[in-house]
Amino acid sequence: MSNLLKGNFNTEKTVVDTNTSEESLEQRFEKEALKKLGGSIAFVAKKEVHWGDNDDSKKD
Amino acid sequence: MATQSMDNGTANTLNKDHNSLPSLGMELVAHMGDITRDRIQDMALENARNNLTAIQNGESLKALRNIDLGKGDKAIIIAAGPSLRRKNVAEQLLSTNYDGAIIATESSMLYCLRQGIIPDLVVTVDPHPKRIVRWFGDPDLTQADLKADDYFERQDLDTSFSEALRTNDEILELLNKYGPQMRIAVSSSSANTVVTRAHQSAMQVYWWNPMYDDMDQPNSVTQTLLTENGLPCVNAGGNVGSAAWMMANAVLNKQRIAVTGMDLGYYADTPYKNTQYYHEAVALVGEDRLDEIYMPIYNPHLEQWFYTDPAYMWYRECLLQMTAHATCETYNCTEGGTFFGDNIHFIPLSEFLAA
Repeated sequence: MSNLLKGNFNTEKTVVDTNTSEESLEQRFEKEALKKLGGSIAFVAKKEVHWGDNDDSKKD
Repeated sequence: MATQSMDNGTANTLNKDHNSLPSLGMELVAHMGDITRDRIQDMALENARNNLTAIQNGESLKALRNIDLGKGDKAIIIAAGPSLRRKNVAEQLLSTNYDGAIIATESSMLYCLRQGIIPDLVVTVDPHPKRIVRWFGDPDLTQADLKADDYFERQDLDTSFSEALRTNDEILELLNKYGPQMRIAVSSSSANTVVTRAHQSAMQVYWWNPMYDDMDQPNSVTQTLLTENGLPCVNAGGNVGSAAWMMANAVLNKQRIAVTGMDLGYYADTPYKNTQYYHEAVALVGEDRLDEIYMPIYNPHLEQWFYTDPAYMWYRECLLQMTAHATCETYNCTEGGTFFGDNIHFIPLSEFLAA
């Protein structure tokens, strides 16, 4: 596609194409599937409860 | 390597060596924290903001610290895995004079109430707007909803949910009847549909935040949430079953905690299509390569094979870490599934009840 579309002016700043490879349909499909694969909620290692007040009897 | 013939489209090669578990499955497990965050965090935080008013109609989880739920230092967690029915957990509970705490996931509420068990505490955490409310009875459930999402119909979590509309009416009625006698720990991440049902059914609501990140780190999302709503923040361990275990451990300070229905996997004869992420797994690798995602697990206590998926495997690893870090004793009385390890006493429920 980029070989077909040619600009007829010069940009003031250099434009960097960050999309180096076009995402295939298969990759997009996989990405959408991955989004639905996760757990119900987060897990935070080595933590229990943060009571959020001064009487934090069990703050890890 | 042990090989076991299986039919119904389940795993056909089962390894006792965890190092040789399917690499794609284990790769997904390694990224499950990130995948989960990408999937739920924005939704959960939006739900928390939407719940700011509803939070006024309930108490903070802090209040539970001052209430003795169940006698003694025992608690039993009732999760909704397939072993719950296969091992007749309710029957075993009711046949003894067990008087410790009973903590149920919302997904096992119907089972409990049907069997005549009113849990001392119910826990809910998943922010999904349509699925979780089904455990409470969805007043707005339609045939179109059922066609759009076959999550319950396919799974072994509660087979009665496959008879969806009738079961929906039943749980609506049961919860409306017993709700006033029940306490529920509702996460700020819960969808409005769930919050509304908890309030409608007159359950006593105790609010809390699930931890999203390390609160000691700068720019912690959880710390910001705490500032906004003032609720205690609890490490929910990836899913509601682990959250229920954490409630018993760190909120109620129970010292002997048994988990039931905590399969974190599937019986070997369960077809892949009846697993929670079947459609997503097929979308990811195709029907022919599902063995690369599902992981066979040999349970040495039962000398029996089970299998699991990346999400359950991640839950398993999270809960194993949580139990290793805790001072309480954890007993897995599921009598099935994949949850075993150095810090877990894997015993029959009858033994825990008798102790």
